[in-house]
Amino acid sequence: MKFQIPIGPQHPALKEPISLRMTVEGEVIRDADIRLGYNHRGLEKLAEQKTWIQNIYLTERICGICSHSHTTCYVQGVEKLMELEPPKRGLYIRTLVAELERIHSHLLWLGVAGHEAGFDSFFMYTWRDREIVMDILEIITGNRVHYGINTIGGVRRDLDEQQVKRILDSLDILRQRSEYYKHLGTNEPSFVARLAGVGYLSREDAIALCAVGPTLRASGVAMDVRKDDPYAVYDEVPFEVCTADTCDVLGRTVVRIKELFQCYNIIEFLLKNLPAGPVAVRAPRRAKPNEVVSRYEAPRGENIHYIKSNGTDKPERLKVRAPTLGNYAATIQMLKNGFIADVPLIFAAIDPCICCAERAVSLVDARTGQEKIISLNSLKSLSLKLSAGNKRKREAEWPL
Amino acid sequence: MKLGAFIPELLRHLFKKPATVDYPFQKLEVPKDFRGSPYLRPELCIVCRACERDCPAEAIEITAVNEAEKRFRMVIHNDRCIHCAQCVDSCPTEAMLMDTRFEISDYDRHNLKMEWEYVRAVVKPRSEAKTS
Ligand code: SF4
Ligand code: SF4
Repeated sequence: MKFQIPIGPQHPALKEPISLRMTVEGEVIRDADIRLGYNHRGLEKLAEQKTWIQNIYLTERICGICSHSHTTCYVQGVEKLMELEPPKRGLYIRTLVAELERIHSHLLWLGVAGHEAGFDSFFMYTWRDREIVMDILEIITGNRVHYGINTIGGVRRDLDEQQVKRILDSLDILRQRSEYYKHLGTNEPSFVARLAGVGYLSREDAIALCAVGPTLRASGVAMDVRKDDPYAVYDEVPFEVCTADTCDVLGRTVVRIKELFQCYNIIEFLLKNLPAGPVAVRAPRRAKPNEVVSRYEAPRGENIHYIKSNGTDKPERLKVRAPTLGNYAATIQMLKNGFIADVPLIFAAIDPCICCAERAVSLVDARTGQEKIISLNSLKSLSLKLSAGNKRKREAEWPL
Repeated sequence: MKLGAFIPELLRHLFKKPATVDYPFQKLEVPKDFRGSPYLRPELCIVCRACERDCPAEAIEITAVNEAEKRFRMVIHNDRCIHCAQCVDSCPTEAMLMDTRFEISDYDRHNLKMEWEYVRAVVKPRSEAKTS
């Protein structure tokens, strides 16, 4: 007997709106289908109405966790369009923030993995240590989440001696803590038993389905934009691409922990070899008609921005391919032949940022399957009409 | 593999101070370059409108009160502001600065508006704005 069960778009196990339709046989998932489009961003259209500079702050808000990834990807593309060469010091600081962001994202993910595996104290400890990175980011950029450090032609803020020392000091604590998590992640028997063998994605499937980031590397494929197509200063920085060959959630955890150590080494290298000089060059307001594709290795995988200019001070087109979108096809493969209870864990293991991958909502009639486009106001009145029948909800009062 | 690898850490934390602070009673210091809310020093503003043009959130509004007297009014809609400090970078005379306040929420968004009415200043702009 086969059943179809929907998970999402609103579901306690998934924090963001996405819908999974699963065909199950008993507890075992035989087939899965991912439906997107529960979130209207309207971001690419908005980008066409804003100037090159204003768009930095718009792309920053595509994602809260990899905000620097999106701005760097965008800014790199615009610099190519404007034929600008940012100064070395600026690129070093840009890379430094990128690696700090990778640390905070991976620590956050480790916590989420702990939480999904039912190991909540692990979640709290990693998130406490993540605060150290957040504090560094706040000190050097002026804010914890949206750093706003990038500008076209370099970065907006310089580093001073004191900040460099502070970062180096904090790195020691972080290294120590990560060492402990590495020990824990490979020794705590219940944690290992929960993660091992879950969400299997073979090397061939990972390549065929175009998985990206740690998901791909955990299947034994050493692919990283930082190595394959170096941007910023990655061609001068020594680091290794971390892989694992267990092809499961445990492997994805190991890759991320290993990457943490690479991040610490990169940051140390950057700070010790920070060149002197200006941090930014002056950017023109217009870009000649041209098009460019910019790639960036975000903490979750390869991020791609396509930018087209038409000679004005605004882009003609900005297309964003967030890393999560690249991993959906592989996720379906991972879910197949798994258990329903593993869904949150497998899904969390790609570090999904669903809202980054969403663009527009399409309305589909459930009975006829027809799509239609309606205005925001009619969408509002439609939802009011739906809730009008529910009197108790509409007239609910706070009981105390 | 050993059993209960986490237990020593848990026990150690029984005797540690909490990692958080008692927020409303005890506040953390913000760093000196924290991006709070933008404010204007009207005595330096030459009304070049660079801030208005570059603000990504359209939070800055400059209107002429009296053209002949060169009186202008600037309104910063803090409810729209995304605290990016682009206006500070764009301003050629350092008339725009950021403060370090972070508890700026209010029950009414209109209370978040800040406005200045001033006579246009005559200041020599910096030779080169950081970004323009
Ligand atoms: S801080 Fe940013 S959003 Fe706020 S007024 Fe200045 S430019 Fe506009
Ligand atoms: S950029 Fe500076 S000088 Fe120009 S209008 Fe704004 S505050 Fe005034």
